[in-house]
Amino acid sequence: MTDAALVSDAPPPAARPLVRLRQLDLFGAVVTLATLAGAVVWAFPLYWGLVTTFKPETEIVQPGVHLWPQNFTFENYAHVLMQTKIGLWYVNSLVTSGAVTVIVVVMAAAAGYAISQLEFPGRRVFWAMILASFMVPIPALIVNHFVLMSQFGWINTLQGVVAPQLIAPVTVIIYKQFFDSVPKDFREAAVMDGANDFQLLFRIYLPMNWGITTALAIITFIGAWNLFLWPFLAVSSEEKLNVAVGITQVHDAFGVQYGRDLAVAMLAALPVAIVYLIFQRRVTQAIMLSAGIKG
Amino acid sequence: MSAIPGNKGGAAAPHVELRRVTKRYGVVTAINDLTLTVEKGSFTALLGPSGCGKSTLLRMIAGLERISAGQCFLDGVDVTDVAPAKRRIAMVFQSYALYPHMTTRQNIAFSLSLAGASRKEQDERTHEVARILQLEDYLDRRPAELSGGQRQRVAIGRALVRHPEVFLFDEPLSNLDAKLRVQMRLELAKLHATLHATMIYVTHDQTEAMTLADKIVVLDRGRVAQVGSPLELYNRPANKFVAAFIGSPSMNFLPVGLTAVEGGIATVALPGGRTARVRVGGAPAKAVATAELGVRPEHLSLVVADDANAALRGEVAIVEHLGNLTLLYVDTPAGQVIVEGPGNVSVRSGDTVGLSLREANARLFGADGASL
Repeated sequence: MTDAALVSDAPPPAARPLVRLRQLDLFGAVVTLATLAGAVVWAFPLYWGLVTTFKPETEIVQPGVHLWPQNFTFENYAHVLMQTKIGLWYVNSLVTSGAVTVIVVVMAAAAGYAISQLEFPGRRVFWAMILASFMVPIPALIVNHFVLMSQFGWINTLQGVVAPQLIAPVTVIIYKQFFDSVPKDFREAAVMDGANDFQLLFRIYLPMNWGITTALAIITFIGAWNLFLWPFLAVSSEEKLNVAVGITQVHDAFGVQYGRDLAVAMLAALPVAIVYLIFQRRVTQAIMLSAGIKG
Repeated sequence: MSAIPGNKGGAAAPHVELRRVTKRYGVVTAINDLTLTVEKGSFTALLGPSGCGKSTLLRMIAGLERISAGQCFLDGVDVTDVAPAKRRIAMVFQSYALYPHMTTRQNIAFSLSLAGASRKEQDERTHEVARILQLEDYLDRRPAELSGGQRQRVAIGRALVRHPEVFLFDEPLSNLDAKLRVQMRLELAKLHATLHATMIYVTHDQTEAMTLADKIVVLDRGRVAQVGSPLELYNRPANKFVAAFIGSPSMNFLPVGLTAVEGGIATVALPGGRTARVRVGGAPAKAVATAELGVRPEHLSLVVADDANAALRGEVAIVEHLGNLTLLYVDTPAGQVIVEGPGNVSVRSGDTVGLSLREANARLFGADGASL
């Protein structure tokens, strides 16, 4: 190297990237602030609802904005828990949502496996039927469901709430796609090992797709928990209500009492929120998959 | 080792037999009227280029592929329509097919668990296999936590634990790097020597076939091109396909004119005017006027261009120094030929050289490709 090269006037090589880094930082900060503002706007109603449940009704209806309760109280929760059948509605929701989840996952996995892996007459017809059923919106079938369930004598029963929710073509489609992508060597290796189709499904295919099974189970559970229209139509007695429909009972029974209405809404949303917080990634994955299918 | 059945002493008895089997996929015939016998305790390699039907043949023996016509016998019993799991055959797949959600222990014991074996028996047999394959330290790891060689051993262990009568290997080393492949090759050879079990091994790598097998079945477009020991195939190929497929670099083929056949020796006219005397089978050769002379690169020697022994002359096109030997690509009147010389050859591209051929090792092939 010459002396001239050693004493070059050129700026140090790090100078330009540093400028770019600063620009990036500024851009990043603006984006962060914008998303933060969006998050606040989105989260504020939730916060407002939650805070309201800890206020006495007299304070709620007072004019002005109070971001924190002046008189902190659990009275709304106490009233909802003591004066309504929310405990029973919780149990009903758990039973119906749990049953829907287990049956839908097992049934859809089995159907997806059969269509993906087995050769049988009418396989293509079954597949076409599943795709076709996917194109019919469930609310359009609600009258048929009601007539069918009443013919079964299942109106105002938990099984009557569960049965129409078992139509889950999207879940079958997702399972089929995932089972299609399992390399056939696994199947053949298991067949050589002596596995039958039930063992193939429950010991190879489902465990190998455990991630998607979890995701589908969670999203099915959340969907069943939040379902309103069908349980609202199918159930008339207070003892058979689920939480989502039960909320309306609180409102109907006690008139507009914001604190109580919001307290029961918070209690209803709690399990879903907990499930979402624990399995956030899986839920996102399932939603993206369903969205991809629905395209 | 006692718990694993061996076949010592049953050397020549047919163990696996395919009788006139055909496999069709729609209008495509993958295997055409093929008959093959595999002796008990032998290590047989099915060798051939991609698409020749070797994996299909293996899968038909395994029962994974339905046979369109013909029969498959195992120990003299017709198993053509018997389910794969009931054939007492184990298979090691090219991809290993290790269940990713199971540990090594669970992978190995899976077939036993399906068969309803007690936990104690599963443990005992898994440990026995793990000991043979040196997998004892990896029993609680999942496949993703194992190296390629370890996965390969687990795949073999999964086959071994079933105490099968026949092992099928479908290109089991093709996913390994070159060094590991050599190591696993040795381990497979050792395993065969220990178990004396019948092994059928599919490969397109002739080195694997030559080093491991005591019998090689060369397949060409769904037919058996030749069956024989590795050296038999190398030294006495039955046809041009086998001659070209076995050996690396490949055999040279020179168009020649057949001038005389006498006493099992054919005199052939080489391009460039020289003649050579080659051993032939006799009568059939007399009817042939033109043929191809097959000469392996190591059976050609470099001599000076005007040497009296030079069967061919030509110009060196490319020189490849491989250390222990040198490969020379020489343009001759017969086309480009490959010559294998010693490692210290000082010839350069553009040099004119003479080539002498070892006539005793040359083979003559007719227009239909059959050895004369």
